Amino acid sequence: MNSVIQVSDLVKTYKNVNAVKGINFDVKEGEIFGFLGPNGAGKSTTINMICTMLPPTSGSVVINGYDVHKQKDEVRGSIGIIFQENTLDEKLTANENLRLHCRFYNVPKEKRHSRIQEVLQIVDLVDVQNKRVEEFSGGMKRRLEIARGLLHYPKVLFLDEPTVGLDPNTRAHLWKYILKLKEQEGITMFLTTHYLDEAEVSDRIAIMDQGEIIAMDSPTVLKDELGGDLIELSTEDNDQAIEEIQEKVTGADVTVSGDTIHLKVESSDAFISDFIKTLDIPITKLNIRKPTLNDVFLAYTGRNIQTSEG
Amino acid sequence: MEGIMAIWQRDLIKFFRDRARLFGSFTMPILFLLIFGGGLSGTMETMMTQNIDVGEDFNYVQFVFPGIVSMTLLMTSVFSAMSVIEDKDFGYMKEILVSPISRVSIAVGKMAGAATVSTIQGIMLFALIPLLGLSYDFMSLIQVIPFMFLLGAALSGIGLLFASVINSTQGFQLIVNIIVLPMVFLSGALFPISGMPGWLDVVVKLNPVTYGVDVMKKIMIDIDQLSMTVRETMGLNLTLFGRQVTVFEEILFILAFTVIVIAIATFSFKRANA
Repeated sequence: MNSVIQVSDLVKTYKNVNAVKGINFDVKEGEIFGFLGPNGAGKSTTINMICTMLPPTSGSVVINGYDVHKQKDEVRGSIGIIFQENTLDEKLTANENLRLHCRFYNVPKEKRHSRIQEVLQIVDLVDVQNKRVEEFSGGMKRRLEIARGLLHYPKVLFLDEPTVGLDPNTRAHLWKYILKLKEQEGITMFLTTHYLDEAEVSDRIAIMDQGEIIAMDSPTVLKDELGGDLIELSTEDNDQAIEEIQEKVTGADVTVSGDTIHLKVESSDAFISDFIKTLDIPITKLNIRKPTLNDVFLAYTGRNIQTSEG
Repeated sequence: MEGIMAIWQRDLIKFFRDRARLFGSFTMPILFLLIFGGGLSGTMETMMTQNIDVGEDFNYVQFVFPGIVSMTLLMTSVFSAMSVIEDKDFGYMKEILVSPISRVSIAVGKMAGAATVSTIQGIMLFALIPLLGLSYDFMSLIQVIPFMFLLGAALSGIGLLFASVINSTQGFQLIVNIIVLPMVFLSGALFPISGMPGWLDVVVKLNPVTYGVDVMKKIMIDIDQLSMTVRETMGLNLTLFGRQVTVFEEILFILAFTVIVIAIATFSFKRANA
C-alpha cells in the first residue's frame, strides 16, 4: 500500500528545548493511525508541523506527494482537520458553515450543493442544516465539524481528540460515524486521543514520549509484546500480602499502585488457583484481564495516560 | 478571489444578524449629529466666524455633516477589525488558516468586509440630510460613495494592525478608543484644523483621517460655489509643505496607505500561521 504521509527525520527545536527529536514514520493509505503520548511529549508540535501550521527546524513531511513546507497550499487542500476545540462559526447555520468551507477549499460551484447534502447525510444532520450552530448540542457540533472536514474530499483526515468533552453515549455514537466513514470512503485517518480504548480502532499506533517515537505497531502486537495476563487484587493488608507474594510466588512481576497489587504472569489459567491457595491474607478484590493499550502505554512511558495530564 | 468573497460575505452576514451592533453603531453618529449639528451649531458658527465676515453662506451643519460621516467610517471600520480577534477567540481563525486561502486574501477579505459595512452605515446617514435641513448635490453624494469605501478600507487596516498584536477584545476596544478619538478631533471632522500650534499640526498632517475628511468635504460640499473666505473658515485649504494639496493627491495617499497596511496585515497572518 502507498504511504499518504511520510515523515522523515523531523526535528523541532525551540530555543533550548528539543520538542521533537528527529522522528520517522509513514501512514499508509486507508489506515487509521493512532498517535498517542502523554502531554508535553511533542504530539501537538508534530501535528502542527504535519498540518503546515508550524515550520520544522529540519527534516521533511510529505503528504499526498506534496512537501509540507514548500507546497503549503497543495497540502492544505489534501487534508481535513478536526481540531480539539470548536472551530465552527456558531452565529451561522450548519449549511452556511459548510458553504463557506467549500469556498475556502475551492470546491467547484456546481458540486457544492450535492456535496454538502452528502456529508450532512453521513453525520445525520440533514434536518437541522438551516439551524444556527449555537443551538446544537456538543455531539452535533462535533459531527458537523467532521462533515465539514470531509467536504473537500481530503486524502487524510486529522482527528485531534475528536471526542474530548463529550459524554460516553455521544462518544460511542460519534465513533459509529467515524468508522462508517472509514468503511464507506476508505479515508485515511490520523487520530490522537486520551481515551485509549478509542485508540483500539487504529490499524497502527505510534507512542511518542519526550520528543521521540518509542513504539509503533498494531494494537494487537503491542499488547501481545507485553505478554501474559494481568491480575489485579486488593487484600485486607496489602503490605503483608506483598511480603507473602515475594516469599512464596515465582514467575510474576509485582507492582503496586494505590491500594491495588498488580501481578503480571505468563498465563493466568495455570497460575491463579495455586496462587489463591498460597495467600493467607483474605482477598477483597480480584480481577484478571488481558493487557489493554493503557498497560502498553504504562509500560513504555512509565505513566498512565489519564494521570499524565497537565 | 473566491476566498476573499467568502470572508467578505461572512462578515456581512454576521453584521446584519447582530441587531445590537447594527443599532449601536448608529446611535453614536446620530448623537454627534444632534450635539454638533443641532445644539452646538450656533456656538460653533460664531466661534469659527468671529474675526471675519463671511456673509450668509456659512452653514456649520453643512460643514460638519461630511465630518461625521467620516467619523462613522472610522469608528465602524476600525472596530470591524475586532472580528479578527473574535475569530481567534472562537477558533474560527484556525479553520481559515489551515485552508488553502492565500494570506493576502484573508487580509483583503477582512478589509473589504469592514469597508462595506462602514460604507453602508455612511450611506444610511445620508437619509438624515433632509431632516437636518441640508441639501447636497445628488451627483456628489453618488461620487463620494466609492471614496467612502476606499477610506473605510484604509481605516480598517489600522484596526487590522492592532488586531494582529492584541489578543483580547477588551484590550482592543481600550486601545482603539484611545487612538480613534484623537484621530477624529485632529482631523478637521468637527472643527477646522487650520491655525493649530506647530507640534499639533504635525500630528494633523500625519493623520490619514485628515485627508479622508478633506476629500469628503471637497466632494460633498460644492466648494467652487463658495467664496475664498468661507473656504478658509471651513479649513478647506489644507496645505502640506507650504502648498495646497489636491483631491487627487489625497486619494493617492490614502490608496498607498491602504496597500501598505494590506502588506503588513498579510505578513501578520503569515506569521500567525507559523
